[in-house]
Amino acid sequence: MLTIRDLSKTYANGVQALRHVSLEIPHGMFGLLGPNGAGKSSLMRTIATLQAPDSGSITLDGRDLLADPHATRRLLGYLPQEFGVYPKVTAEAMLDHYAVLKGVVHKGERRELVEALLRQVNLWDVRKRKLGSYSGGMRQRFGIAQALIGQPRLVIVDEPTAGLDPEERNRFLNLLAEIGERVVVILSTHIVEDVTDLCPRMAIIGQGQVLLSGEPREAIASLEGQVWRRSIEKTELDGYHARMTILSTRLAAGRTLIHVLAEQRPELGFEPVAPDLEDVYFGRLRHQTRAQAA
Amino acid sequence: MFFEILRFELRQQWRAPLAWIIAAAFAALAFALASSDVISIGGASGNVLRNAPLVIARLLASLTAPSMLLVTVFVAGAVLRDFEQRTAELMFSTPVSRGAYLGGRFAAGYLTALVVLLLCALAIALGNAMPWIDPLRLGPGEWRGYAWGLGVLVIPDMLFVAALLFALACATRSLLATYLGVIAFFVLHAVAGLLTGDVNHHTLAALLDPFGGRTLAIVTRYWSADESNHRLPVLEGLLLYNRLLWLAISAALWVLAFTLFRTDRDGQAPRAGKRGSVSPLSNVSATAPCPGVQRRDDVRSRWLQLQKMFVFDAVSVLRGVPFLVMLAFGLFNLIAVLAFSQHHDGTPSYPVTRLMLETLRGSYQWLLYIVITFYAGELVWRDRSQRSAEVSDAYPLADWIAPTAKLLTLVTVIVLFLLTGSVVGIGWQLAHDYTRLQLGLYASQLALDAITFVLLAVLAVFLQVVCNNKFLGYLLIILWFASQIGFGLLHWDHHLYDYASTSATPYSDMNGFGHFLTAALWFDLYWACLALALLVLTALLWVRGTGQDLRARLHEARRRMRAPSAIALSAALLGFAGVGGWIYYNTYVLNAYLPDNARLRMQADYEKRYATYRDLPQPRIAAVQAEVDIYPYARRLHIRGHYTLVNRHAAPISELHLSVDPAMRLSALDFAPHDTLREDTRLGYRIYRLTTPLAPGASMRLDFTLDYAPHGFRNDPGDDTFLVANGTFFNSSRFPHVGYQPAQQITDRNDRRTYGLSETVPRMPRLDDAQARANTYIANDADWIAFDTTVSTAPDQIALAPGHLQKSWIAHGRRYFHYAMDRPMLPFFAYLSARYAVRRDTWQGMPIEVYYTPAHAWNVARMIQSVKDSLAYYQANFAPYPFHQVRIAEFPDYANFAQSFASTIPYAESAGFIADLRDRSKLDDVYYATAHEMAHQWWAHQVIGANQQGSPMLSESLAQYSALMVMKHTYGASKMRQFLKYELDGYLAGRATEKIEEQPLAKVENQPYIHYQKGSLAFYALQDYVGENTLDRVLKKFLHDKAFQAPPYTNSAELMDYLDRGTGPTFRPLLDDLFWKITLYDNRITTARAQRLPDGRYRVTLQLHTGKVYVDGQGRETPAHPDLPITVGVFAAGNDGHDGKPLYLQKQVLPPGDSSLTVTVDAPPAQTGIDPYNVLIDRVSSDNRVPVSLP
Repeated sequence: MLTIRDLSKTYANGVQALRHVSLEIPHGMFGLLGPNGAGKSSLMRTIATLQAPDSGSITLDGRDLLADPHATRRLLGYLPQEFGVYPKVTAEAMLDHYAVLKGVVHKGERRELVEALLRQVNLWDVRKRKLGSYSGGMRQRFGIAQALIGQPRLVIVDEPTAGLDPEERNRFLNLLAEIGERVVVILSTHIVEDVTDLCPRMAIIGQGQVLLSGEPREAIASLEGQVWRRSIEKTELDGYHARMTILSTRLAAGRTLIHVLAEQRPELGFEPVAPDLEDVYFGRLRHQTRAQAA
Repeated sequence: MFFEILRFELRQQWRAPLAWIIAAAFAALAFALASSDVISIGGASGNVLRNAPLVIARLLASLTAPSMLLVTVFVAGAVLRDFEQRTAELMFSTPVSRGAYLGGRFAAGYLTALVVLLLCALAIALGNAMPWIDPLRLGPGEWRGYAWGLGVLVIPDMLFVAALLFALACATRSLLATYLGVIAFFVLHAVAGLLTGDVNHHTLAALLDPFGGRTLAIVTRYWSADESNHRLPVLEGLLLYNRLLWLAISAALWVLAFTLFRTDRDGQAPRAGKRGSVSPLSNVSATAPCPGVQRRDDVRSRWLQLQKMFVFDAVSVLRGVPFLVMLAFGLFNLIAVLAFSQHHDGTPSYPVTRLMLETLRGSYQWLLYIVITFYAGELVWRDRSQRSAEVSDAYPLADWIAPTAKLLTLVTVIVLFLLTGSVVGIGWQLAHDYTRLQLGLYASQLALDAITFVLLAVLAVFLQVVCNNKFLGYLLIILWFASQIGFGLLHWDHHLYDYASTSATPYSDMNGFGHFLTAALWFDLYWACLALALLVLTALLWVRGTGQDLRARLHEARRRMRAPSAIALSAALLGFAGVGGWIYYNTYVLNAYLPDNARLRMQADYEKRYATYRDLPQPRIAAVQAEVDIYPYARRLHIRGHYTLVNRHAAPISELHLSVDPAMRLSALDFAPHDTLREDTRLGYRIYRLTTPLAPGASMRLDFTLDYAPHGFRNDPGDDTFLVANGTFFNSSRFPHVGYQPAQQITDRNDRRTYGLSETVPRMPRLDDAQARANTYIANDADWIAFDTTVSTAPDQIALAPGHLQKSWIAHGRRYFHYAMDRPMLPFFAYLSARYAVRRDTWQGMPIEVYYTPAHAWNVARMIQSVKDSLAYYQANFAPYPFHQVRIAEFPDYANFAQSFASTIPYAESAGFIADLRDRSKLDDVYYATAHEMAHQWWAHQVIGANQQGSPMLSESLAQYSALMVMKHTYGASKMRQFLKYELDGYLAGRATEKIEEQPLAKVENQPYIHYQKGSLAFYALQDYVGENTLDRVLKKFLHDKAFQAPPYTNSAELMDYLDRGTGPTFRPLLDDLFWKITLYDNRITTARAQRLPDGRYRVTLQLHTGKVYVDGQGRETPAHPDLPITVGVFAAGNDGHDGKPLYLQKQVLPPGDSSLTVTVDAPPAQTGIDPYNVLIDRVSSDNRVPVSLP
């Protein structure tokens, strides 16, 4: 169990990246949903010891992660949102190098490990190729391979599916799910389906605050009967915006399909629809925006 | 569109603080150059005004080349911006034409670069207006220099700079590669500059300088102060060609850039690696088992991690293009310098290891400063710039491993760089059939050099980590470099506060590193302690992760500070303090610390306090007897001296004044009863009142004991080089002198002002100052002296002093030599002691001995031959040799000269002993120098001039002349032209830097370019006109009449009388021109045509020009009438670089200005010449000879 208490961070330029963030994250996949700039990466980097918070605490099974970064790093597997590779080094050599840096010093063990990891992320056939020639998806797979070196107890993956094609994404998420059976895996994303498909638990954050945390199923259930749908002309959209909370808009067959959050049918022509996580997500964000506007 | 792009780019550039920082830094440099006395670039010295138009133009010229390092970022940035910011695809999908885009960007880069230089011009004007500048050094403020400098140099220069950078950036698409291109360009530029060193390549060098600075220097090389103050070069000839050439090249570069420019993603860069198909995703199980591994975090794993990381970094650096490119440039530069620089007036040196190492230091290792600075930044930022730090920073890797691996990588780079250089050095030696490689010396010298570079590497890594900004880190390192220069200028030269600096370790083949090594190693240890502390701090402050401000980093550092780092840090700091204390004790307590200007301060104080005693009658030293004990290995010197002083004045003398070198301790002094009136040990001046005044004609004894026994070590060797383990050499200036010594006075006007002395520079007394004839120009306290000395030294060494060896014996484990002069000699003597090899020879019974280091035997035979030829010529034409033997002795290369004492001539190692004379077509400088020093045994040791203007001519010019004659008889007259060409250049260049007033030769006042170079030319011309025999006859008579004379001493006017009488009235105008006036000729042939006559002979028609000007001491010229007969010659074709034989050679009076002349010769003519042997002083000597055109 990873416990985050009252974590706050303000950058030197005045941006408040995290505001009193508290979360309980059990074993298994944990989805962290939020729009760009919500503070997901700040939170992930803080857990990954790459930046210190202004206040708050993080513990893993009772062990204080902030007190001794070096010890924390021994538990960690981290795939940052953006990372570079040495373009002139082969995947195999680089992974071997990283394994040493992670403390896998026994040569034979290391060789087996590198092979297993490369096979696991399906880069074995291209292990001799220079990282500079890898496509975005291959690079991402290389990133997960390095994060998995040495059986981490806490895996943090920051927006890992961006840039992957659907097939790669599936495969990647399966891999995560498999790991998530044993350890804490935090998956940050702004793609709702990633969470819906995989994560038994999740949190939504916006503007540095936790807007919701819990099981996706519960969250969806809580919106039961409150989401309404209607197909409208594009020109009418502004009027609807003024009158009700629009969760999402989508083009369908030349008209605009809107989802609206309301306790009762807002107007004639709206039909009820079964909520999904996306509705939950947008609902929370709209709520936060409205609260600030008020 | 063009203007929109220009406007946008200019806005981008000048909105960034970098532009302003660079402009400000550069303008500050210009301001400093213009307003401070400590550096003089631009030639404002002596009588040249600080704001003379030419000085301003030169200052601007000197700024254009270095500006390139700074403006690269603007100009290349203008091209690369869209690629680096990844806006290229947006930009190039707009309908902007390539012309407008490139033109606009180029114009913006060029304008920015130009603005930086314009700011410099403003800063120079401002600097010149500062109140602390001596108004005497300023002329009227003039805009001409600025206009000329900007128009002729800066504007086209910056066009070239911009075009070059633009082309580089377009071709390489990388700022780094552009910078490398810039460095490559600088190396090429430096190599081209080496060509300037030799007068024979001036035309090429003038054309090859893209900035025109050297062209300007060459065009104005011979300008007098007056010309420099008022004139600017006309845009013609070399200067014009240079400007046109480089404008054309700039245009070509621009076209090249335009052609090379590509808008596509990969530009010109070769495709890196092939891109294969992406591997399939199916059919492999996603659930392949991941084997369990053990992760360790112990000493062994850390060691392995360090090793891996080091190899990873080192391989990337050593395989990287920048390193290889810089290495290649370094080697290129090294080889070029080796090929061009090891010459002294046309004579090369043997590639002895010491010289190889000096060249490595001077021409190769400096690149390492750039390499280290660059790679410290690259390595520290490597993971972050590759953006892989996000990944690896979260690894459980100890914090010290990464910085240590980076540092080890830098150390490896340093070692490999130095080793590569030494391999080239060794190759060079072997290629020149030189096999005494001294690998041990390579190793030790390079190890000493490496220490400095490693210390710099630590500092560079530390600064990069501490300031956590790559460019700030670079800037701070550059500041450190600047501080090195700044400290030097401020005379803050103690190594205790100058990071990584250490005491100098001059190496000599005779004495090795000598005692100098101790101090250097202590300073190295001192800074190594600090470096260790910096290293610990580096590890503590090493950045992991992102977004950390200073407070967070300090907090993190405190957290990381565990026992091992705390112990290492305190040990390092304790060591630093402890060693610092020890150094302080040695350099301040055991030895007085004298900054490099302390000597000047002492000289100034000496003059201020004691100049009042200048004309006080004092007894003269009539005899010197001394027992000198040299302890070379213990570095101790003990002198017991006995002077006989005589009152040669008409009145009794009641006060005795002694000047003693303050470095020597006067431990005992014994003479007639006296009172001590003053004992100034700091300045070495003592005044005693004799109880019984010394009566006229009476003499007295003066016994003294002098000791020199240095303890510990000093900040820098200073003059502590005369007493060393092998190769002790000191002269009579270490002995006490009687009375005030004017030779101590400062003769530089600026120095005099700085140290509060009157600005009237002390000069030699005028020729009509009869009183000055009481002294020779080398001593004011003695005439000819009796000399007898016993010198002892270590048993394995030979000690030398002037005089005939009476006896040599061994006693108390020491070796004694007793030397005595059986006739009076000049009061000028020296002592030497070393482990010498000796070669003996005789010439007509006269013993000739050469004392040398066994490794330097090459030229001993040559020296002996020169001594023999000299004895033959001088005895036949002047007078018998007055002493019983000729000795030449080598001394270590702490100085570089040869000096003639009576019968004994010490030579520095590189003054002849290591000259490489294997190529017989080169000038034989050893032979010449030996003949010159031998000539002093007549001209100085027999006839010496009074302390008046013109006397240096009697010694030096006549020695030059005598040596030229010996040389002429051995090598032939045609070889002399080669030699005289250097003398002509030396004279003309020397007069251009005259600080006070150029004198005619007969009134020369210790102006080496006159009494050596002009002396050679004038006497050579004289013998060419009057005949060698006539001249020798006059000299012989002069010598006969004046040798060993008592005061009043002879002077140059007397020699001129002899010459006048001896050569007759015909030559009176010639003597006037050569000796009493400063005369410059302008003789040239404009065209030479030949025609074959029916009888098989050739008629040659020459268009000639003759001209002559007289010049005053400040360089103002007055046209004169060329009334001398001038040689005109027609020559056959030469071969092998030898001049062809003359077919026609005759002196004739030519009409002034242009004229024509027709002569008929028997064989096919190839060349014609007016004054073809360059005996007359002509500023353009190359147009005296022109090839004949035969239809």
